[in-house]
Amino acid sequence: MWNPNKSVIASSICTKITIGIVIGIILTAPYLVNGYVGYAAKNPAVIRPLLVTIYACAVPGLIAMLSLNKLLANIKKKAVFIEKNVKLLRRISWCSFAVSGILFVSGFYYLMFVFIAFAAAFFGLILRVVKNVIEQAVAIKNENDFTI
Amino acid sequence: MAIGVNLDVIMAKRKISAGELSDKIGITPANLSILKNNKAKAIRFSTLEELCKVLDCQPGDILEYIKED
Repeated sequence: MWNPNKSVIASSICTKITIGIVIGIILTAPYLVNGYVGYAAKNPAVIRPLLVTIYACAVPGLIAMLSLNKLLANIKKKAVFIEKNVKLLRRISWCSFAVSGILFVSGFYYLMFVFIAFAAAFFGLILRVVKNVIEQAVAIKNENDFTI
Repeated sequence: MAIGVNLDVIMAKRKISAGELSDKIGITPANLSILKNNKAKAIRFSTLEELCKVLDCQPGDILEYIKED
């Protein structure tokens, strides 16, 4: 039977798989980009900027995924409304904005990146609102915990 | 904090220990310690009622308004 605990475990597994994929992409990026440029018959001049974009996005991407993993570990320990989780959500949100910025700049050589930049910014904004909600929930929980 | 809790003063007057008081009013020693050390954000009327009953005092004997500059 499906329950919230299994849902957290499934999310945790998906996050770990995604971390693996991101690391895999970082390690094989030159081969992947060369293959893509050859397959899509693109101008070989885009190889270097594409690699720069991938590596620049990989850093905030990896930070966000590791933060997400920590967040899920806290949720598994039933520590949901804590200050640490607010910090993790804030970090993930800033990572999304960083990726958005990098992709927006990359849009100057490949227009498609601009659309993904907007999607990343939107995602960052949603996370920021969720962070604000959790921040308020932490304050309410603290007040409740210290009501004797 | 603008409201101070003078629980230790009244406890000393009544010669009652923290463990005994927490047992009698039905809260955990940890929560009583939060209350005693002025760490509490609020106090329930039911807790205040029990404290007054056990310590034979008025709410004003336990709680004090401290003016902040």
